[in-house]
Amino acid sequence: MPFAPGILENRAYLVVDDFGDMRSMIKNMLMACGAGDITLANNGADAIDQLNDKRFDVILCDYNLGPGKDGQQVLEEAKHRQLIGLGCVFLIVTAENAREMVMGAVEYEPDSYLTKPFNKDLLKTRLEKLIAKKQNLLPVEQALAKQNRPLAIRLLDEKIAHKPPNSNELRKIKAEILLDAGQIGAAREVYEEVLSLRDLPWARLGLGKTLFLNKAYVEAQSQFKTITEHNPNYTAAYDWLAKCYKSLNQLNEAQKTLEVAAKISPKAVLRQKMLGEIALLNKDDQVAENAFTKAVKHGRHSVYKHPSDYANLARVSARTQQGDAGLKVLKEMKREFHKDPKADLYRATAESVVHETMGNSEAAQVCLDQASQIFETLDGNTDTDCSLELAKTFQHFNKTDESVELLKSTILNNHADDDLMDEVRLTLTSAGIAEDTLGSIDALREEVASLNRQGVELARKGQYEEAIKLLKETSERMPANKVVNLNAALVMLMDMERSEFNQSRIDEIQIYLDRVNRAEPDNPILVKLQNRLNTVLSSNAQEG
Amino acid sequence: MNFSDILASIIHDMKNSLGMVINTLDEMAGENGYRENPKFASLQHESKRLSNNLIALLSLYKIDHGQLTPNIEEIQVADFLDEIVIDNQSVAQSKSISLSSECDMELSGYFDEWLIRGVINNLIGNALRYTQSQITLCAEMIDDFLVIRIEDDGMGFPQNMIEAQAAFNRSNTLSEGHTQLGIYFASMVAQAHRNGDRSGSVHLENNHKLKGGCSSIWLP
Repeated sequence: MPFAPGILENRAYLVVDDFGDMRSMIKNMLMACGAGDITLANNGADAIDQLNDKRFDVILCDYNLGPGKDGQQVLEEAKHRQLIGLGCVFLIVTAENAREMVMGAVEYEPDSYLTKPFNKDLLKTRLEKLIAKKQNLLPVEQALAKQNRPLAIRLLDEKIAHKPPNSNELRKIKAEILLDAGQIGAAREVYEEVLSLRDLPWARLGLGKTLFLNKAYVEAQSQFKTITEHNPNYTAAYDWLAKCYKSLNQLNEAQKTLEVAAKISPKAVLRQKMLGEIALLNKDDQVAENAFTKAVKHGRHSVYKHPSDYANLARVSARTQQGDAGLKVLKEMKREFHKDPKADLYRATAESVVHETMGNSEAAQVCLDQASQIFETLDGNTDTDCSLELAKTFQHFNKTDESVELLKSTILNNHADDDLMDEVRLTLTSAGIAEDTLGSIDALREEVASLNRQGVELARKGQYEEAIKLLKETSERMPANKVVNLNAALVMLMDMERSEFNQSRIDEIQIYLDRVNRAEPDNPILVKLQNRLNTVLSSNAQEG
Repeated sequence: MNFSDILASIIHDMKNSLGMVINTLDEMAGENGYRENPKFASLQHESKRLSNNLIALLSLYKIDHGQLTPNIEEIQVADFLDEIVIDNQSVAQSKSISLSSECDMELSGYFDEWLIRGVINNLIGNALRYTQSQITLCAEMIDDFLVIRIEDDGMGFPQNMIEAQAAFNRSNTLSEGHTQLGIYFASMVAQAHRNGDRSGSVHLENNHKLKGGCSSIWLP
C-alpha cells in the first residue's frame, strides 16, 4: 500500500452524533487507528460551533442528528460558509442506505458515505484512501483557492494523462472547473468524452447543463429526460428538466416535473422553493402552499432558509385558508429572522398583501410604505430579489408606475444577468404588464451595453478623458451595474498606467471595485483588476 | 401507512440495534477475543448474518415497490473487494478460515456499490457456513461483463440448487424451495443492473478454481 505510515495520526477529527454510545464508539475506533485529536459534538448546531472555532481534517457526521440540522445540512452550511478547509474529508454516517439522500442533494455531496454498522478496520481503510485522495488533489485545490483556474486544469490534465484508475473522477472535477470559468464548450467536450465510454448519469447531467447554458433548451431537455427515464431517483436531473421547461415557458410541465422530484426527496429546500414559485405562476395555490410549507419547515435549520419562502407562504395561506393563517406565518417569520433588513422588507410586502386580503386597506398601505422605506436602505448591488419582490407588490396594488420604474432600474443595473432578465420578464407577464411599457427589456439592455462599448472604444483610441467621463456618468445612472463599474475602473487604470501615479484616482478606482466586490467577490474580471491595481500600488511604493 | 411500510421501518430499527450489538461485541472481544473465545465468534457471525439478511430484506422490499434503481457509479474494484475482505476478516479468522481477494489494481467497474456490497456480504455469509478452510473473492472482465466470484473449498452447491438457479436465469421465475434468500437477493440486484440492452445475472457452479461452490455475479 502506498500510504505513509500513520496517515491517520496527527490529524484533527470531529465526530458528530446525537447518541452518546455511538460517539464514544467511533472515538474508540479512531483512537485504535492512532488518532489522538478527537472532538465530539452531539448535534448539528454544536458541530457548526466547533467548526467555527477550529480547523478539522476529518469530519465523521451522522446523518440523523435528532431535532435541528441533519448531517447533510451541517455539510451544506460548512461548505457554504467555508468553515471547512480544502483538504478536509467529510464523511456522512448513515444507518440506512444513503441512496435517497445522495441523490436528493442539490449542491453539496460528502466525500463518502459510511453505512452502519462498520468496524475499526473498515473505517481505517476508508479514511486512509480518502485522505490519500485529498492529498493527491491538494495542488489543484490550492490553485483554485488562488483563483488560478488554468493552473488547476493543467494539473488535472497531467494527472489524467497518466490514466489513473480514477480518471473519470478527475474529468468530473475538471469539467466543473471549466463550467465555473464559463468555458462551456470545453466542459462539454469533457462530458462527451466520458459518455462515449459509458453512460454515466453525472456526465449526462453535465452535458445537459452545457446545452442549457448555451440556451439549447430543447436539446438539454432531451438529455435530462433520458436520465430521469434510466435513473428515476436522480433528482438533480428533474431540477434541470424543470428549468428547461421554465425557459421554454411550459410552466405546467415544469411544475409536474418538480412534483415528481419533491416526492422522491421532499427535504431539498431549494427544490421546494422552485416548485412553490412555479405553482404560484400557474395559480395552483394548493401545490404552492404545500411546497412553501415544506421549504420553510426543512429550511429552518438550513443555510438555504430564505425570507421569500415565508412571504410566499403567508400570502398563499391567506388566500387558501384565511388572513389569520398568513399573519401567523409572518409572526413566525419575525421570530426566525433577527435584525435582517431583507427579511423585514419581505415581511412588510407580504403583510401588506395579507392585510389587503383581509380587507384592511389602511393597514395594507402602512405596510407598503414601510416596505418602500426599507428598500431605500438596502444595497441595490446585492438585493435584486428585493427589487423584484417590491415591484410585484406595487403591481399587486395597481401601482404600475412605481413597479415599472423599479423594474427599469433593475434592468439598467444588471443588464448582463440573463437569469435575472428572465425573472423580470416572468414578473411582467404574471403581473399582466406588456413588456413595451418599459420600452422593451432588450432595448434597455442594449442601451447599457452600447454605452459600455463606447466607453471602452474611446479608451482604446486613447481618448481617456472622454471614456472616463462617459462611464462615470453611466455609473451614476446605474450605480449597481457590475459591467459599468468594472469598465470605469479599467479605463481609469489604463489611463493611470500610461501616465502617472495618482492617489485620488486610486481611491476612486477602489470605490468602483468595492461595489462589485460586495455583490460578487469572486468575479474573475474583478480579481484581475484588483491584482492590477495592487501591482500599480506596490511598484509605486518601491519607487517612492 | 400500510403494513409493509411499517415492516420496512421496523427492519430499519432492528438493523440499527444490531449494529450496536455488533460494535459492542467488537469492543468487548478486543484484539484477541474472537480467537480465544469461540462463543464471541459465533455471536459475531450470527449477528452479521442477521444484519446482512435484514439489508437483503429491505432491498427486496424496495425492489418490490419499484423504489430501487441502482445508482451506477464507477468503482475501483480492487479497493472495493479489499474493503469487503477487511469487513469480514474477523469473523473468518475466528473460524480459522482464510479470506482473501484477488483483483487487478487497474480494474474499474460500473455498479451500485451499496447494493453489490450487500450481495457479496450475504454470499460470504453463506460461504462461511459451508467452506472448509478458505474463501476467495476475485474479479475480472469477461465479454464486457464485470464478473465477481465468491469461491469456497467446501462441499459445493447441491445439484438441484445449481439447476434451479440456471432455470431462474432462463425463465426468471423462482422454483420453490431450492434457493436461499441470499442467492435470490443477488439475482434480483444483478438483474436490476442494466447497460443498454444487457442486464446482470448470478450463476452457481462447483469446482471453479477451488473445489467447493462458486457463485458469480455478472454485471454489464
